[in-house]
Amino acid sequence: MRRTDYVIKRIFFAVMTVFVAITINFLLFRALPGSAVTNFARAPHASPELRATLTHEFGLDQPLWKQYALYLNQLVFHGNMGISFADNQPVTSELAGKLKNTIGMVFVGTFLAIVIGVVTGFLAAWRRGGAVDHASTSSAIVFYALPTQFIGMMLILLFASVLPTAGMRNQVNAFFSGGSTWSNLKDIGLHMILPAVTLALTLFGEYTLVVRSAMLETLGEDYVLTARAKGLPQRRIVVSHALRNAMLPIATLVALSLGFIVAGAILVEIVFSWPGIGQAVYEAVATRDYPMLQGAFLILTLSVVFFNFIADLLYFKLDPRITE
Amino acid sequence: MRARVSWLALCAAVAVVAAGCTSGGSQGSGSGGHLTIGTTSNIDTLNPFVTFQQNSYAAFEYIYPQLVQYNDQMSDFLPDFAQSWKTSSDGLTWTFDTAPNATWSDGQPLTAEDAAFTFNTILKYGDGPAGNLIGGLANVTKVEATGPNTLVVTYSVPAANVLPQLQGLSILPEHVWSQYATGDGKALRQFPNVPEDGQPLVSGGPFELASYTKDEVAIFRKNPTFYGTKPSIDGFGLQYFSSDDAMVSALRSGQIQAAINLPPTAMNTLKGDGSLTVYDGPGLQFRDFIINSSPNKTQNLELLDPKVRMAMEYAIDRDAIVQTAWLGYAKPGSTILPPAAGVWHDPNIQPLPYDIDKANAILDAAGYKRGPDGIRIANGHPMDYTVLFAKDESGAGDTAFQIIQNGFQQIGIKITQRKEDNDAVNTAILGDNNTYNTFDLAMWDWYPCCPVPDFILSVVLCSQYGSWSDTGFCDQRYDKMYDQQGVTRNQAARVALVYSMQKLLYDARPYIVLSNDDQLNAWSTGWDGFVESSLGLFNNLSKASLTQVHPA
Repeated sequence: MRRTDYVIKRIFFAVMTVFVAITINFLLFRALPGSAVTNFARAPHASPELRATLTHEFGLDQPLWKQYALYLNQLVFHGNMGISFADNQPVTSELAGKLKNTIGMVFVGTFLAIVIGVVTGFLAAWRRGGAVDHASTSSAIVFYALPTQFIGMMLILLFASVLPTAGMRNQVNAFFSGGSTWSNLKDIGLHMILPAVTLALTLFGEYTLVVRSAMLETLGEDYVLTARAKGLPQRRIVVSHALRNAMLPIATLVALSLGFIVAGAILVEIVFSWPGIGQAVYEAVATRDYPMLQGAFLILTLSVVFFNFIADLLYFKLDPRITE
Repeated sequence: MRARVSWLALCAAVAVVAAGCTSGGSQGSGSGGHLTIGTTSNIDTLNPFVTFQQNSYAAFEYIYPQLVQYNDQMSDFLPDFAQSWKTSSDGLTWTFDTAPNATWSDGQPLTAEDAAFTFNTILKYGDGPAGNLIGGLANVTKVEATGPNTLVVTYSVPAANVLPQLQGLSILPEHVWSQYATGDGKALRQFPNVPEDGQPLVSGGPFELASYTKDEVAIFRKNPTFYGTKPSIDGFGLQYFSSDDAMVSALRSGQIQAAINLPPTAMNTLKGDGSLTVYDGPGLQFRDFIINSSPNKTQNLELLDPKVRMAMEYAIDRDAIVQTAWLGYAKPGSTILPPAAGVWHDPNIQPLPYDIDKANAILDAAGYKRGPDGIRIANGHPMDYTVLFAKDESGAGDTAFQIIQNGFQQIGIKITQRKEDNDAVNTAILGDNNTYNTFDLAMWDWYPCCPVPDFILSVVLCSQYGSWSDTGFCDQRYDKMYDQQGVTRNQAARVALVYSMQKLLYDARPYIVLSNDDQLNAWSTGWDGFVESSLGLFNNLSKASLTQVHPA
């Protein structure tokens, strides 16, 4: 019963969070001075008559509450995120393509970060006070402190001559020279290296520090002392007893990080011209493309809320004490 | 030891794979080769009824026919789809003889009927879905194809700018678009107009659009059915970069073969790269310091005083702005028609020199005394103003602002920067009900569409209140001259009128033009034949550049 209550509560909070986020997303951009139409004010082809037409076409001449009601109606009952102001095409299909591009690259980057972070954090705790600990902790703090765009720019400077520095693939060469599926995949993989590594370097420090801290805590527990007293091998003590019990904060952090997989790559995508959802948000902000922004932020919100929910369930599974 | 060997093996593998991937491969398998051009401005859409972006219009130049095109000097017009043209003696009727036996890339005939369909569609839906194109047909009353190769355009007045206006309109295939030009015409704006199912876009220019991925790349392939001179190359790609630095790196490493609209900060590096040809020429874009000229202004009315405006110009060090902010890749400005506008630029207008003493003397004589903190007092309040600063100006513009701020400080005027996004600045400039009643000063730029002066001269018309006007300037004498130049078919007389307009505007100083940007492009030395212009090597004025380019 308690378990069911817990899950129902979590679902309720998740749905409420999404609804509030949708409302804020809608109001936030409209609270700014100007609009998608006044944004065209300096375009040579945007006559006053055209702007009046666009205001009507975009529904910006309607009262705010009516725009909101229409938006909710389309979103909730038809799954329709609207039509982009910039190119008059459906937001849903445009974002789907961008999302696919983002997930691939950010997944690789985040996975790398988790692996590097867990391994270095684990080693730092295991060899506490030694050279490995100092090296792991220092590098984690340095990379955690560095701005993403700075790391990205440094990698571009260092690897511009050997690795692709922008875009997701070389479509022009592939088009004119032909290319097998394998060579196209290889091309995407190579284009992914620098943005994914940038993301990994940006993120891994957090994992290192959390894993180290969690491990140190468990290594000081009585059951670890007992295991030592029983004469168990050091490897087994660390892996089976300490690491396993340190998994709670680590698993939570990983689940929460996955939630930000979509949102976390905006800067990386701008620096490396990666055609994902982060770049789409950047372009949409510049052009006040409300439907595109609302759609993108809805996806970011859903992603965070979903993985928060998963983290809650995982927490529950890993530590049944929380329902007691 | 084992770990060390593994790392070495991994590094070696990455290096080998990477080396295999980044070779240019730009010569391709065809005879003419292919190249990739980098840009930081995307193609927002390929629908001519929707787009506002310069690169979209440049793409249309290469995939669609236009009646005429500019020559290499951007000073006159050459035949394009129209092989010749003539005007009636009253200047109201223009007859164009179009290319015979032309076809679209799908084999359908390309005739004057397509041009008539396109222009009539724009006229029909000009107050709605075709609103972004209707300006090109100002004063047109009738368009008809009197034969498969004859197009007749009739005007209500003997317009002076017929060819520049028509040059900006792409001719669309009637057999593709006619199904959307029905009813209220909304379908015209909803048609994505992109290649689908592996089929290229139906094209009539020297290239056909073979592939397009938004915010990534547009790929153009040689169109063998083109009515004009066929391109030397097999095709080219236009690749979008969201960062200047990534584009410059890609150019230097050979991932792309050319780049347009380069930042001044990259120029010295690129000039030192022996594998690149760098172009640094005059551009049309100018940066301006705006002084609110609206009679509706409710505060700080001293800014309407011509003496204050003159003193401000004396206190602006244009040379420092060019050398420090633009690293020398700009020229000091004078009028809103820069030298790149050719014959339309009035070279007699010389900007005031940087002279702090003179500026102080003017303000002293006008009675603006300094307060205890050194800031002058005007009408009982300190001369302390906010400068609206558009996001577009960030970077070099920030440095320019600091130079101006320093100059103004020396003459007892304090200015503070308020940086906002473009739309917010525009809204602040317009004021209450588009009366321009609140703002004092601003910094922004203009990017005129083309060398002809019609558009840029129009942004200060009284009728542009609430629209293109960002100065609140309104002068009936100026408006009258604008109308007059629009129907003055004698070139010398029209130029004289345009000069008078520039002089009037310069003296009134709604704008103090700070600098004119240079047009900065670069390409690999492996390529030759690009035609440069004030809008760069890939532009919407002429088909010459990408049809003439070839491997060196």
